[in-house]
Amino acid sequence: MPRFKMVDGVSIQLTSAEETARDNEEAAWAAGEDDRALASMREDRNRRLADTDWYGSSDLTMSADMTTYRQDLRDLPSGKTTKAHVDAATWPTKPAA
Amino acid sequence: MSDQASTIMVNTLEPQSGTTLTVGKTGQNLVVNADSLKANVVKDAGGNAIFTSDGSGTLSGVNSAFGSAVVLIQSQTASNSASISFTSGIDSTYEEYLFKFVNINPATNETEFTFQVNATSQSGYNEEITSSAMKARYTENGSTAVWEYATDMDQNQGTAYQWMSEDTGNEADASYSGQLHMYNLGSTSKVKNFIVRGQDDLGDQAKDISVAGFINVTAAIDDVQFKMSSGNFDGTIKMYGIK
Repeated sequence: MPRFKMVDGVSIQLTSAEETARDNEEAAWAAGEDDRALASMREDRNRRLADTDWYGSSDLTMSADMTTYRQDLRDLPSGKTTKAHVDAATWPTKPAA
Repeated sequence: MSDQASTIMVNTLEPQSGTTLTVGKTGQNLVVNADSLKANVVKDAGGNAIFTSDGSGTLSGVNSAFGSAVVLIQSQTASNSASISFTSGIDSTYEEYLFKFVNINPATNETEFTFQVNATSQSGYNEEITSSAMKARYTENGSTAVWEYATDMDQNQGTAYQWMSEDTGNEADASYSGQLHMYNLGSTSKVKNFIVRGQDDLGDQAKDISVAGFINVTAAIDDVQFKMSSGNFDGTIKMYGIK
C-alpha cells in the first residue's frame, strides 16, 4: 500500500526513493526491537538496584530478603534475548527492608 | 416632546432616514446604565470593527490588536500519514515557534513520535542534534512511580530524528499530546534551542516526557518534519509564531 505524507496541508504520495528509504528505516527499527527492550529492562533494573543501595551502607546490616531481592534483580536479564522474554519476565518483589 | 426632557420613554428608537442613528455630539459621553448592551458588531469612532459576532455567541472577527502575541500559522492533520512537514511560514518573523501536538496516534504499537529539521539551502532532515531527556512515569495500579533520565532518547551530535515520546501505544484510546518550542529558527548566527514537553500513553501508565537540546547549526531552519519511528500516524499538529 503506498504511503502518503502531509506537506503544508497537502497529502502527497511518497516517491519510490522515499518509499525505499522509509522501508529501510522501519526495517532497522524492527531489527532493534529486542535490543531496545533489553536496554529498557536493564535501565529499570538498575534504577531498582539504586533505590536499595542505601541498605548496603556501612552502618546498616542488609537483611537476607533484601540481599536475595538485589541478587534476583542482577540475575533478571540473564538468558533473556528477545522482547518477548522481557515482556514475560517476572520482576522480584521488593521486601519491606 | 420637550427638547429638554430628562427622561424619554419609548420602546424603539430608529433613524428618521437612512440606517444610522446618532446619539450625542462630539465631545459628549454616552453612558449606558443598562445591565447589558446587545449588538453583533462593536466599532470604534472611525467605523472599524473591534468585535464581530454571528449573533449566536461565536465571534467571527476580532481586531488584530487582541491576542496577536501568539499567531496560528498553520494546522495540519495526519490521517494514516507517513509524516507531516512544515516547509513554509518558518523564517525570522518570530523568535519562537510553537508546535502543538494533539492526539498523535501511531498505527504501530510502542513507537516514538519524532522530529528533524532541514537548514536553508540544505537537503534532507538530518541536522546535528544534542539533547537530553527526562521522564516521569506512574502506573494505573500505582506499582511504579519513577522519575529518571531517559538514556534512549538523548543524542550527542546525532542526526537521527529526535524522539519526543517513547513507546507510544496504538490503542484506540491512546495517544501522545504535547508541544515543542523552537527558538531562533530564522537566525543565521545562533544554534537552535528547543524544548519538548508531552504526555505519552502506553496502556496502563502516564508518562511525562521532557526533552531539551539544540540543533547545532547556525544557518536558518525553514523545514520541520514530524513522523513516527516506524509506521504511519493520525493526529493534528499546529504551528504558532510567538512574537
